[in-house]
Amino acid sequence: MKDLNETDLILRCQRGDQDALKEIYDQYHEKVYRIAYGVVRHREDALEIVQDVFIKLFRTISSFRGKSRFYTFLYRITMNTAIDYVRKVKKIPKTIVEEEGGLQLSEEPERGPDRILLHKELEEKVKGAMEKLPADQRMAIVFREIEGLSYQEMAETMGCSIGTVMSRLHYGRKKMQELLKGYVKGGGEG
Amino acid sequence: MRNSCSSVSKLLERYFDQEVTGEESSLINEHLTGCISCRETLRSLVELRDLVKAPVEEAAREEDFPWVWQKIERETRLQEKASWWETLRSSVNLSHLLRKKVWVPAAALAAILIFFTVPLLFKETPLSPDRSIVEYVESPTYNVMVYHPEKTDTTVIWLFDGPEMESPAS
Repeated sequence: MKDLNETDLILRCQRGDQDALKEIYDQYHEKVYRIAYGVVRHREDALEIVQDVFIKLFRTISSFRGKSRFYTFLYRITMNTAIDYVRKVKKIPKTIVEEEGGLQLSEEPERGPDRILLHKELEEKVKGAMEKLPADQRMAIVFREIEGLSYQEMAETMGCSIGTVMSRLHYGRKKMQELLKGYVKGGGEG
Repeated sequence: MRNSCSSVSKLLERYFDQEVTGEESSLINEHLTGCISCRETLRSLVELRDLVKAPVEEAAREEDFPWVWQKIERETRLQEKASWWETLRSSVNLSHLLRKKVWVPAAALAAILIFFTVPLLFKETPLSPDRSIVEYVESPTYNVMVYHPEKTDTTVIWLFDGPEMESPAS
């Protein structure tokens, strides 16, 4: 039933129906945001990626022939947009103020200043470690750890074999553990 | 134990990702109960996932998405208008034809046709046949035909024998 509904939505969207795009947006925007945030670790940047992804989707959905699952099509757009974004941003070094803006975390009342500082520091470390990973390993970690995609789904989205997915995940995790030594037990072992 | 550890460690990541068979899962579960090292490895995988995932979930919870849709909607409407205009423009746009030079044979053919048909179109044709006056007068003895061309001042008169004189042989 859900598939039928989704097929109908896609067909309507392919005909340029904006209401259909809105429905797709309602269903997927949080997932797209999580992937985007997982890659760039910056709220405003992630929102900009979400925006770009759905605009691109509207423009390219006519090329979706239904041979793969729709979400893999959408996640592929997200992956490419996020990677392009990272490449673009890397060329323009951010100021310290902008960097701090990217780390704005909510000041929950139960958190003391030390906790918030630790939280910020940790997030900064994770962001730094993610930035050091090659794009394909970073995407593998985001798809698996954040979105919980299976190896098969990741292979479809990333356009590679399951073996490649496993390898990217393994080396990505290993490098992250090394870079986050002290925050993750057993970092760099194995 | 050492051998078992090395064989399990190869499966541990797949076990953590829930990508093992039931049989493999039982084997690993059994091994984990007695192996601190593998349990630690597994724990580090859990910790890494939490480190990567928790801030994302937190950011997603706090995000204000409606304005994002407003921007998307505005942008896609503009795109739709632009694509409409593009379609219209491309339907009358001949620049791609000019670039591809597919027009060269067509133009040559048109030139040949013009070369041969224009002289035919402009060839002087008489508006009306030469107006001449022809009169024919029959009588019992002679038949007379008078021919008077319009363009000249001369008149030609023929005299024919009468019908009964014309057929003496019959």
